[in-house]
Amino acid sequence: METSPVITMRDLKRHYSMGEETVKALDGVDLEFLKNDYAAIMGPSGSGKSTLMNIIGCLDTPTSGTYILNGQNVAEMDDDELARVRNREIGFVFQTFNLLPRINCLRNVELPLIYAGVNPREREERATEALNRVGLGDRITHKPTELSGGQIQRVAIARALINNPSIILADEPTGNLDTATSQDIMEIFSDLSKAGNTIILITHEEDIALYTRRIIRLRDGRIESDKKQ
Amino acid sequence: MKRSLKQFRYETAESLHIALFQIRANKIRSFLTALGVIIGIVAITMMGTAINGIDRGFDKSLAMLGYDVIYVQKSSWSTMGQWWRYRNRADLKTSYTEAINRTIEDNPNSNLLVAVPQMSTYQASVQYRDLTIEQAFALGTSYRYPQTASGDLSSGRFFTPTESAAGTMVAVIGDDIATGLFGEREAVGNIIKMKNSRFRVIGVFRKQGKFLGLFSFDNQVIMPLGAFEKTFGKKGFVTLRVKIRDQKQVDDAKAELLGIMRRIRRLPPQKEADFSINEQKAFKSQLDPIKNGIAAAGIFITGMSLFVGAIGIMNITFVSVKERTREIGLRKALGARRNTILMQFLIESVMICLIGGLIGLVTSFLMTWAIATALPDFPVQFSPALVFASLVVSVATGIISGLAPAVNASRLDPADSLRYE
Repeated sequence: METSPVITMRDLKRHYSMGEETVKALDGVDLEFLKNDYAAIMGPSGSGKSTLMNIIGCLDTPTSGTYILNGQNVAEMDDDELARVRNREIGFVFQTFNLLPRINCLRNVELPLIYAGVNPREREERATEALNRVGLGDRITHKPTELSGGQIQRVAIARALINNPSIILADEPTGNLDTATSQDIMEIFSDLSKAGNTIILITHEEDIALYTRRIIRLRDGRIESDKKQ
Repeated sequence: MKRSLKQFRYETAESLHIALFQIRANKIRSFLTALGVIIGIVAITMMGTAINGIDRGFDKSLAMLGYDVIYVQKSSWSTMGQWWRYRNRADLKTSYTEAINRTIEDNPNSNLLVAVPQMSTYQASVQYRDLTIEQAFALGTSYRYPQTASGDLSSGRFFTPTESAAGTMVAVIGDDIATGLFGEREAVGNIIKMKNSRFRVIGVFRKQGKFLGLFSFDNQVIMPLGAFEKTFGKKGFVTLRVKIRDQKQVDDAKAELLGIMRRIRRLPPQKEADFSINEQKAFKSQLDPIKNGIAAAGIFITGMSLFVGAIGIMNITFVSVKERTREIGLRKALGARRNTILMQFLIESVMICLIGGLIGLVTSFLMTWAIATALPDFPVQFSPALVFASLVVSVATGIISGLAPAVNASRLDPADSLRYE
């Protein structure tokens, strides 16, 4: 198995100033993710896991420290460069799904390709293929409002996959789903991992984290533990 | 470079898609938003139409006067209303035309062609059997009158040099007089009565319409000067109609006529002229300030309504940005750049304005058409330039009103926006 690091973080800090006070959401994080990693980031609320997710997902930049994603120093990028990196390198899956409710699955899934400048025919082909991969090939013209929660999250996973990102970043992907559906979704993530994708989950549920091969625990903006399983 | 161009194209297509979708999804809101622009564009086009119409109506009126005829009268057209300046001037005489014509004949290089006398009154009443038309415009002149006037005859003929010299009791009447007295029947050959004189109708003028909406050429009764004097006396208002050789040299012609008239009136060089030489240009210079006034007021009103419309659009776009904060966050997470989001909202506001502008154009086109149909005399005219101008104004309004909310949207923080409830 290949072991080149996809993500390297060194002494990463993210501080927010709230009036007089400075909140140290992340206070010196060192992390490495290898290709084909399947990791869960855990921690109680206020531990900094959302901040870490935002930074990994290039939605936010660190106050100090380095963050190298696929050889690019993200910490020094401007807004448009970050947008490009998000588009090419990261596939997001959110707790609240975040599909656009009034357009059909196909159009939802092909959104990242529009911003990547892919032509309409190829967009449709690739979106159909991605929906097939998550078992929704027969639902491509349905709108999200016509689907169940589990199906919606599968559409979101298809969208995350479509641009062949370096990492799939899932923020509490089962947080709004019942147990059975959660299991279905986690099976999909496990399958994707077996197919060679790099997956990082943020969760506070132990049984969800157990699907992964690595559990990183955060507390007060620092890494408490980092165990392979 | 090629890649980013493609990207721009796809993103723009996507933005157009979203914009149309949003407008369709919020029909009532979009319509209310566009209403400001609709009203603004209706105001612009109606204004432009009115100004066009005034211009056209005015040109039509001036053409009736003739571009190559100048008029010697007691008072000046360009300072009308200052009657006290003119009331003490000596009356003009119709016989001056003979002197003028002699001078013209002696000078082969003259800029003038012919002078025709005219004596007139507004107070004539015309009778045929038991029908009477009050306030007709009676005009005594010579057989050369048609050379200095527009308008042809729809039937009959003008009077001959012999009739002119003899002062024969014949009359050529305007279309309104003919229809008023004879209806559909042939007017030529009948006898009409003015004061105590009887005139034989020998010709009828084709309908010409009103001059500046005030004075009607269809209300005239034209007769030989001698016949006029026999009927109304020698106290009528005298005008000398002088046809010039080339309308481009109207200033030279006026100067020449001024010299001739001063000699006829025996004015010493230092004395001010006690007559006026008028041309249709005088009306134009009087009308221009009025027209500019209408335009200035119109631009102000139009500007106000567009301004109000623009504020409405800005407001609704701000609301739209707020409502779709999560969508903006999501699009940014998926790779939309600042400019992508900026364009998306700009395209949306421009499209609302453009649709508003088109509705406004159709509305004012229908209004113009309705006015033109209902009141054929009312001068209105719709021009392609107006269509173009309104569309440009619509797009500009969209850009101006959408810019602030769109910039706002493009600068939203993606992480915060995704969490926005």
